Amino acid sequence: MNLFNRFILRIKKSTNLRNTSSFAETMELSDEILPSIYTRETDPVYHNESHLNKLYNIPSKDCATILSHGLMNQYKIQLKIFNEMSILIRKPSIELLSYLSKSDYAKPVNKYVIYGECGSGKSTLLYHLLHYGYNTNKIIVYVNHAQYWFTKPKEIKYSEIERNIIDLPIDTRIWLDKFKLLNNHILCQANIKLSKSYKWGTGANFPKDSSLIDLINFGIDQTRYASEIVAALVNELKQASRIGLCNVLVLIDNYNIFFSHYTQIKNSLKKFALTSEFSLTQNFLEITKSDWCNGQIIVTVDTAVNKDRQESHLPRYLLTKEGFEHLDPFLPINVENYSEDEFYTMIDYYKHKKLIRSLTSNGEKELKLLSGYNPYKLMDLCKHL
Amino acid sequence: CRSKESIRCYSVFPKHYTKPIFRKEEQDELVTNEKFQAATYLSFKPACIDETSSEFYDPLVSKFINYLIKQGKKSSARYLLERAFLSIKMIQLQAYNSCDSNDKEKIELDPKVILRNAVENAKPVMELTQIKRAGQVYKVPIPIDSRRSRLLAIRWLIQAAKEKTRTDFLYDRLAHELIQAHNNQGRTIKKKQELYKQCQANKSYAHFRW
Repeated sequence: MNLFNRFILRIKKSTNLRNTSSFAETMELSDEILPSIYTRETDPVYHNESHLNKLYNIPSKDCATILSHGLMNQYKIQLKIFNEMSILIRKPSIELLSYLSKSDYAKPVNKYVIYGECGSGKSTLLYHLLHYGYNTNKIIVYVNHAQYWFTKPKEIKYSEIERNIIDLPIDTRIWLDKFKLLNNHILCQANIKLSKSYKWGTGANFPKDSSLIDLINFGIDQTRYASEIVAALVNELKQASRIGLCNVLVLIDNYNIFFSHYTQIKNSLKKFALTSEFSLTQNFLEITKSDWCNGQIIVTVDTAVNKDRQESHLPRYLLTKEGFEHLDPFLPINVENYSEDEFYTMIDYYKHKKLIRSLTSNGEKELKLLSGYNPYKLMDLCKHL
Repeated sequence: CRSKESIRCYSVFPKHYTKPIFRKEEQDELVTNEKFQAATYLSFKPACIDETSSEFYDPLVSKFINYLIKQGKKSSARYLLERAFLSIKMIQLQAYNSCDSNDKEKIELDPKVILRNAVENAKPVMELTQIKRAGQVYKVPIPIDSRRSRLLAIRWLIQAAKEKTRTDFLYDRLAHELIQAHNNQGRTIKKKQELYKQCQANKSYAHFRW
């Protein structure tokens, strides 16, 4: 009986209200009827091809934790206008979600590289996957604006251990803080113990089998040790997932910045530093290696962050030979511009949310031609109408 | 090279060239009109860069942008006004989402309508000019035409936005000023009313106009 109820619930979640007349007796009617552009399924675990070209809302109670890493300015404006966080379910995200649910976690980690034109929705796709990771109780290592570490960091410090390595103590502490906010509930559940002892200086001493949360808390309190603690955290997460204590999902936005030669920071020799000279770069390159299992790695590449490589958006060109060999083998996934259906869904959504009020067929045609079906450009054009 | 015989015009086009008809509705109307035959023999100037047959074209908006320009940077002026429109929308939509369902119809969401109403509310009918009579300068109230009043209204709106405290961006200040003028409030409307008061006080000099 219990199983049957769960089956009904599953159907209730996965189908739209309009198409479920045969299940009308078992359903509880909700307070308001959603328009057909929305889907009632708010859990990305159950998203499949029947939900394509529809929007789903991230529940408002989870919103604060999911968005704890901060948003880009364009998303902040959208949050204010729309008064909700909704994501369009698209083909690449369905594809990736099916890979994540079906892959064998005993084998070494699978790597996926998301690529596409500027503004085609790569970062939004990562938010969808982040919600999936949050709902399936995975530890999420999420980096969303790494480019600011190399252009305008809060503080620069040369490492005490190696002179030619640059630390960014405050930025690292901020990242650790956000990491803890995002994963607090899972870290408490899993109760991960350290696999070896760590010692930096006189005050920082962590013997074997002490808790991982204590280590993270220490990094947040003591800013000067933050960089070393991120390195230790990466090692411990890899070790714990190898044993099977936890499941790690690595999501890194603008990953190709780690192989760019463009920074605005000078090293100890008074020359512009390479991105490989930063301790944070080394840590996040470490976690994207293939020497661990029970996890997934998803990264995006974008032309927007790489000033010296602008001619193409393909991963081999953006990652350079060095990055390609580091990530290899990986599966490239293309995020394209809107299709015809997706375009009209978004126009309907903007009309529903009163961003645009009256639009004739000529106006739609004009928006199509001006934006070229590009999601970012479409939003940009609709902002002032 | 500037001799008296060959005076070079600054414009590329001679004076007998007429303004172009770039809106599609006006063109369709012209074809059915009797004047179409005569218009075929006229020479037309090309359309300006902001004059398009697009659905989103608004003559008042392009006029407002022209008054916002500094150092000939039209693109940045256009960005300023479009960003101000977005700020207007953000303010109005937040009010729209938070209020009851009965009051929702009262809130104006179209930024172009708000701009049009703001300019219409800020338009003065009279102005003071200095006229010298018997060695003394008098401030004399005179009526003004629609073009001059539109100029003053737009100029005052931009000035009022620039005078506000500089904690916000200019586009945010402009958005606030436009919404206030739309509701018949704010600095611009105050300025207009002060001008009217002065005109009332100097009513007795009105005959100096002739």
